[in-house]
This record gives sequence, C-alpha cells and structure tokens, in this order.
Amino acid sequence: MSKRVFRTLTAIVGGFGIALLSISCSTSTSSGESSRNRPQQILIAAASDLRPAFEELAWAFSSNTGINVTFSFGSSGQLREQIINGAPFDAFASANSSFVDDVIAAGKGIESTKTNYALGRIVLWSAQSETLPTSITDLIDPAYSTIAIANPQHAPYGIAAEEALRQGNVYDTVQKRLIFGENISDTFNIAKSGNATVGIIALSLAIADGRPYTLIPDNLHSPLQQAIVVTSEGSRAIAAQRWIEFMSSPTGRDIMTRYGFVVP
Amino acid sequence: MNDWFPLWLSLRVATIATLIASIVGISFGYILAKARFRGRGLLEAIFTIPIVLPPTVLGYYLLTTLGVNSPIGRAWENIFGSPLVFTPTAAIIAASISALPFVVRTARASIEDVDQRLESALRVAGIPEWKVIFLVTLPVARRGLLAGVALGFARALGDFGATVMIAGNIPGRTQTLPIAVYDAVQAGNDSTARTGSLLLAGIAIIVLLAVTQLSSRRI
Repeated sequence: MSKRVFRTLTAIVGGFGIALLSISCSTSTSSGESSRNRPQQILIAAASDLRPAFEELAWAFSSNTGINVTFSFGSSGQLREQIINGAPFDAFASANSSFVDDVIAAGKGIESTKTNYALGRIVLWSAQSETLPTSITDLIDPAYSTIAIANPQHAPYGIAAEEALRQGNVYDTVQKRLIFGENISDTFNIAKSGNATVGIIALSLAIADGRPYTLIPDNLHSPLQQAIVVTSEGSRAIAAQRWIEFMSSPTGRDIMTRYGFVVP
Repeated sequence: MNDWFPLWLSLRVATIATLIASIVGISFGYILAKARFRGRGLLEAIFTIPIVLPPTVLGYYLLTTLGVNSPIGRAWENIFGSPLVFTPTAAIIAASISALPFVVRTARASIEDVDQRLESALRVAGIPEWKVIFLVTLPVARRGLLAGVALGFARALGDFGATVMIAGNIPGRTQTLPIAVYDAVQAGNDSTARTGSLLLAGIAIIVLLAVTQLSSRRI
C-alpha cells in the first residue's frame, strides 16, 4: 500500500471519530437539559396488548402526578432483549411474568419492585361478525382458511393461543392454516384487515376495537400473568415505582378491568 | 400526523449519516479505484455486505458489537457515562453503515471513469497528489459522486431493520419516520401511517429524480 493511501486512511478514521464524538456530545447535552428544565418523564417498555389500557392510564397518571409517560410497545420477548442489551427504559410491563424474571436475572430489573398486576385473557375475533366462531372447536371448519395468532416463539399471547388450540384438540387440524403476527397488535391488524379470517387476540384489544368477540375459557391455557418491574435507577426509578402503585390504585384497577384484565 | 418529531429526527439522522458515509465512502471509493494492494477484494466485499445482508442481521451484528455487554459498548459507557445503543447516535451509526455501500460503489465507478491522462498531466507538471485529487479527480467525477451521495441519503432515511434493532422504537428519542410508520400501523393509527408513508415516498421520488438528473446532465 502506498504512503498516499495510508495518509488518506488516517484522515478518514480521524474524521469519522471526530464526527461521532461531536454527535454524541450534542445528544448528551440535549438530554441533560431536558431532565433539568422539563417536567419529569418516564419511559415504559410495554407489551402491545397493554396499548389501549396504558394510554388511558397514562393520561390519568399524568394529571394526577405531573409525570409524563412515554411508551415503547412491542412483543414482550423483543422488549426483554432490548432491556438486556441496555435500552434506557424505566419500567418493563410484560405479558408474561417469566420475561420479567429474565430481566431481573440479567441484573437490569429491581426484584423488589416486581408486581404481578393482572391476568390477560384471549378471545376469538373476526373483522366480520358473520364469520366469528362461537368456540375454539368451530375452527375445524375449513371456512376458517387462515387463523392469525401471535408468534409463539416470543409472544406470550401466541404461546397461550397455541396452548388453547392444543387443549381444544384442534391444533393438528388447523396447524397449516396458522399465520403468525409479530406481536399481539400485529396479529390483531392481520385479522382486522381481513388477511386472516379469524384471529386469536388479547381481550383488551377486542374491547378497545368494540366489535363482538368470543372469550376463550381460561382453563384452556396457562395464565397470562402480566408483570411489571422497575428497570432504572434514581429519581426515574422512583417515578416508575409511582406508576406501578398507580396501576393498583382504584382508578388504575378500574381502567385495567374495563379493558378486560383480571386484576387481583 | 400531529407529532413531527420522527420527521425531524429522520432528516437529522439521515443528514449526519450521509455526511459520514460520504467522507468515508468517497475516500474508500478512491482507494478501491486507484490503489492496488493485497486484500483489496476483501475490502470491497466488506463494503458491499450491508447491501446484501438483511438489515435485521446487520442490526443484530451491530447490537452485539456495540451493545452494553461488548468491549466497544463498555468503553463508550466508561467515556460518556451512558450506553451507546438505543440512542440517536446509534441510529446514525446504523444509517451510516446502511448508506455506505451505495456511496463507495458509485464513487469507485465514477473515479475509475476519470481519464487518467488528465491526472498524469498534472503529476508531470509537479502538482502534489492531494491537489490532483481535489483539482481533477473529484471535480471530474462529481456527478457520479453526487448520485452516490443522494442514493446513500435515501437509504439512510429509509432504514428500518438495522435502526430498530440498535436504536429501538422510543417515541421522542429514537423513533425515526420509518419506525413511526410501523408503530402507527401496529396501533391502528391509519392517518399517521398514511402521512408518514406519503412523506417517505415523496422524499424517495425526489431523490431518485435528482439521481437521474445528475447522471444524465452536465452540472
């Protein structure tokens, strides 16, 4: 390699380093300012079945405490990976208690703050009420050509849906007709857009939508134990703890119950 | 759409990423076009990888390389006090790497097309090499270089897979426009999804028109 090439290389690497440095400095000062001057903010990673209920809860929480809440919704499994890899969330609300345990085991969650706040339920749902099955055994009918469930690899609602199909003795018949949503919102959208004849989705999303649904008996699947844990430190952790307390307040319980969660 | 943050963040991330990708990309494009050394083929392959790898795989590699449990991630945290991943800076890194191959490949091709006799004439006249580059090579190759930069910008603006893996989907912090569109679709918020998609499609068309103009006309 010629000297010329070496000189160019050094210049490039140097330039790249300086550019990155200046960006990181500018971003870190802006975040520092926001924590001093603006009202307190917390960031919660939440399973997507919680979206409608949490958005309403956040509104009540902010007017009560002055703390603003921002959510990042996704499947519990994806959010768990993000938190273990250093995502800056203040709390993690999972659709499955074991994912919260994983985060605690990785040293990212404060064990004493772990709260099992509700049980989730699953329903059969269809965009057209004429094609709504009345029970899980109805799914044997080939008219239900595509059935959307959340991906059982990483989405708790998908695991519950698969269990219910097995317990209802229809899994082998319908297995080839299953399509997987990335998380429960995604699954709901597949059914809502008509790309699946029927979907097995979270009761909370069916209630938020308002169309009819068929509740799946909860003895057909293991409990969808919703759990939350604080995942930050300092004043933000205190604010996150207040969110958890607010969820079990009468207002919080009322909102959660209205969206179909079974609160203890 | 009532929150314009994702658009501004996307434009900011794409602009800085294009800047980085242009400096690095044009320099390496020059090296690949002019220098002959062992490992040149390998270097070229490395610069092409981001095009052929699925963006999520690229994102996964970035997350393992720069995450809080990696040596680079730990070093960053020691220096700056907070992790690198799941920040706007991480989004810039993802966008830069996605844009880089487009800049390198077009830069290399347009620099190779520059008539070497022009460069030789200046060298014979005793003009130093860096002057030859800035007075002849780069100005003559400018149309191709600009087309590559425009393509890189479009790619940086549109990145989803790598960005969502390494910067996450944090509204008001790392949620770029493509991620906001995805989030709006998930939430059933059709109007935001529509506005965001139209904006991205509009910008993409403008960039592609610019690229066509650059490659067909003298400027």
